[in-house]
Amino acid sequence: GVFAHLEMLEAQAQEAAVKEEEKKQQEEKLARLKARVQELRLKRDELRHKVNLQQKGLGKGVVSDPAQPRAQAVLEWKIESIKAMLQVFYLTGISGKLTPQGVCFCISTAYEGTYLSFYYLDLLIKPKVHIHRHSIPIFIPLEQIAEKYLQTDVRRFLSVLSDHLNAYAGRKYQADQLQEHFSDQIEGTLQRNSLCNLLVFNYNIVRKSETFPFSVRLLYSDPCCSLPTEVMVSCAPEAPASLTETAAAHSDLFRRVALHKAFGSISSARES
Amino acid sequence: MDEIVAEYIRRTVLKIPRDELLTVLQKWAFLSETQLQTINFRQVKDSISQDVVQLCEEKSADMKQAAVLDIIYNHTYPNKKIWSVYQMQKTGEETECFNLSDFKKKFKRRLQSALKNVTVSFKEYEDNAIWIRIAWGTPFRKPNQYKTSYVVYHSQTPYVFVSASVLKSNLPLLCQALVVACNYQDIRQMELRGHCLDSLKDIVFKSYSQNFQTYCPRPLQERKVAPETDLRISYENIHEKERIQRVNQEIFGDGLQPKLEFAQYKLETRFKSDPKMDVLDKKEPFRCLVKFSSPHLLESLKSLAPAGMADAPLSPLLTCIPHKARNYFKIKDKISSSPESFVSP
Repeated sequence: GVFAHLEMLEAQAQEAAVKEEEKKQQEEKLARLKARVQELRLKRDELRHKVNLQQKGLGKGVVSDPAQPRAQAVLEWKIESIKAMLQVFYLTGISGKLTPQGVCFCISTAYEGTYLSFYYLDLLIKPKVHIHRHSIPIFIPLEQIAEKYLQTDVRRFLSVLSDHLNAYAGRKYQADQLQEHFSDQIEGTLQRNSLCNLLVFNYNIVRKSETFPFSVRLLYSDPCCSLPTEVMVSCAPEAPASLTETAAAHSDLFRRVALHKAFGSISSARES
Repeated sequence: MDEIVAEYIRRTVLKIPRDELLTVLQKWAFLSETQLQTINFRQVKDSISQDVVQLCEEKSADMKQAAVLDIIYNHTYPNKKIWSVYQMQKTGEETECFNLSDFKKKFKRRLQSALKNVTVSFKEYEDNAIWIRIAWGTPFRKPNQYKTSYVVYHSQTPYVFVSASVLKSNLPLLCQALVVACNYQDIRQMELRGHCLDSLKDIVFKSYSQNFQTYCPRPLQERKVAPETDLRISYENIHEKERIQRVNQEIFGDGLQPKLEFAQYKLETRFKSDPKMDVLDKKEPFRCLVKFSSPHLLESLKSLAPAGMADAPLSPLLTCIPHKARNYFKIKDKISSSPESFVSP
């Protein structure tokens, strides 16, 4: 009927429109490529001209104005060196991007080869360098670190902040790993806090089919360190003397080795 | 088992939705699995609660365990209360090694030395949140278990979340105990209140999604794929639409906004009229209160400009809410020649 006819016409019109569009795109592409060819030809001529001049040994230099290339070259050198610095910083875990009014830094954290979270810091330069926004956890003493270093030495500020964040990430990772892999060997709960700088937990040592409870207290008073500064491993007062030696050995181990690895070697030792 | 305890447990169980009852009781971990299996959760809520009380009777539950059940209930359904945020200050610089048992001891001791008749219960969670439940009494009456305040504190942070207490007179005592236990010197109430505890945490801990420009590779978020456009339709104001999208994204970022239910602006500004109109000869400021309410205020603000209901960018008074961590504002006239108004701290 009429509608079918109208539909057919509409379909035809659509097809025609699509074909038109395709044709237009082809033409545009062709025009672009032609322009590119022109561009490249011009460049080739330019370079040929330069080569000729150099070969003729005129020594006048490629550009007539000697002052300009120096400024250009200096600018290029500056950009290259900044790029290189950003690259170096990226490898150290700090990368930055210029924003319209300042810089936005990204500090990434890692512990013993495992990449952990990253945190952002948005700095503004006017009227003086200050923090606009950030995603640094609230328990990291950001304001204190900023007060000390931000105005005078931005690099030091970033480095100290990065140390705090990496140490925190490392401590948290160790505590998380301990809870994940050894929760069945820990008596009760692992007591921790937001900064993961005080850990208290209990575990058992089996000797001659008798179970002896051990209590551990790990204190990390250096905020930039992911190993404890103070370790206290204690066993019950009525435990045999040999166990105090074990406690001392464990204490030493916790002080030197990452928590989850230290606990791993303790738990594998006790099974033997 | 004490009748008061039995009644308290019964009422708490009644508050919990039927399908989640088993989960909550398991979290409580007071009744054993075998005991829980004997409860028929398909019967009437009244009967279920009676069964639970019976089982608690067999295990001689006391107020301590009942209090923990109450904390778990409030932790599972925190958005039923209005939470206020308090900020603590201190001048010391040393890194604190927060000791949980010290904290609990100090808090309880401080509170009980001033008011003997209080019940204080604690529960710690995986995310380092410490929940404190306080049932208040008076110097002459035992604690009323139905008049409770709840405090949520994350160690080594200066922020405390308090559920609006029924008894305002106990607030100074609570604040004092917190300051002592957390090793701070001062505490003040922030101009930030809401129902969604997690969102309040996101705002003050700055863990809501902010838009940061950086080179760091981030997983590409799914951008909305442009729908198949019919070539015969042209959008006259496509540039404006794109501008609005761009401005919105700069201000609000890509992610979900924290959930707030209201923002209140108290205006103490002078009525600015044509001097000839002479409406108010008094030089007093015109007092006015503007309140924005919404099930999800910030998301609705975010959608105002794209929906065509407001100009983009929105007024900074609205967009500064998460950044300034406040939803109660006082706007006064600037005391200078310029006619602009400013927001008081």
